[in-house]
Amino acid sequence: MVTSDPDEELLVRIADGDPAAVRAFVARKLPRIHGLAQRMLGDAAEAEDVAQETFLRVWRQAPKWRPGQAKFDTWMHRVALNLCYDRLRRRREIVTDEPPEQADEGPAPDRGLEAQDTGRRVGSALAKLPDRQREAVVLCHYQELGNIEAAAVMGVTVEALESLLSRGRRTLRIALADLVER
Amino acid sequence: MTKEEFQALAETYGGEVARWPTGLRDDAALLAAAEPAFAQAALARESSLDAALDALPRTRASTALYDRVLADAPVVRRRGRFWRLWLAPAGVGAALASIAAAGMIIGVQLGEQSAVSADASAQSVADLDVSAIAEEG
Repeated sequence: MVTSDPDEELLVRIADGDPAAVRAFVARKLPRIHGLAQRMLGDAAEAEDVAQETFLRVWRQAPKWRPGQAKFDTWMHRVALNLCYDRLRRRREIVTDEPPEQADEGPAPDRGLEAQDTGRRVGSALAKLPDRQREAVVLCHYQELGNIEAAAVMGVTVEALESLLSRGRRTLRIALADLVER
Repeated sequence: MTKEEFQALAETYGGEVARWPTGLRDDAALLAAAEPAFAQAALARESSLDAALDALPRTRASTALYDRVLADAPVVRRRGRFWRLWLAPAGVGAALASIAAAGMIIGVQLGEQSAVSADASAQSVADLDVSAIAEEG
């Protein structure tokens, strides 16, 4: 149960058929949902597809939305994550025998620690995390959701979220050991 | 809050106490005041992981994606149709008025000028937007 939803006013205007509200809502939410999908999937094209599909569901749901149950943003994150998981499952079905192609992740002495290389290695380490740990890291670190909200999106308790988050960060720390302080 | 609890929170939520759960920040501040060296070391260690995570590149949503998402919005589609429907009869009226005006001009002017008016009339007819009507019908 939430006392106020920052998206409520826009949703009411969208339901009333206000095109300016639609544009404002897209400007507010699309970068976040696109970013979420990109970090979960590590693929720009798939992230765009997920973002578009998420908004299709938003347009269907917005007129029926009743405030007070959960934040619309929480619901939207859940929808986007479900779509990401659909795609991750499909990938696993396609790649059955062969392990997924991984980028070279060792520190290359001739490459240094340039930002691009760091980013590539972080992406690779993130992609290798168990899905739920990656989800916890993406929601809390990149999406900057609070622990209660992130737990609600994931459908787990705050304690379970903290466990996933802590394990995810520990694994990332090991994978990126040469980049971070010990 | 104990040092172990502080350490565990840093390892969970990162090196920026402002991003920790609201209810724990005051206790964390007390611990940091009592054990500054320990707290700073723990936070610095996690901040370096945060910084590494922030290096993950991110492509911005493309303009084409914005366009696609907006095109899918039923509100925008509905409004667009509404205005086209509303404007279509107006367009027909304006075209008919143009034709009538052209006719009057033709009636009073010489042949060369009549040809110009006839062109204008033809253009007005060509401008009639009946596609919206056909689409909605």
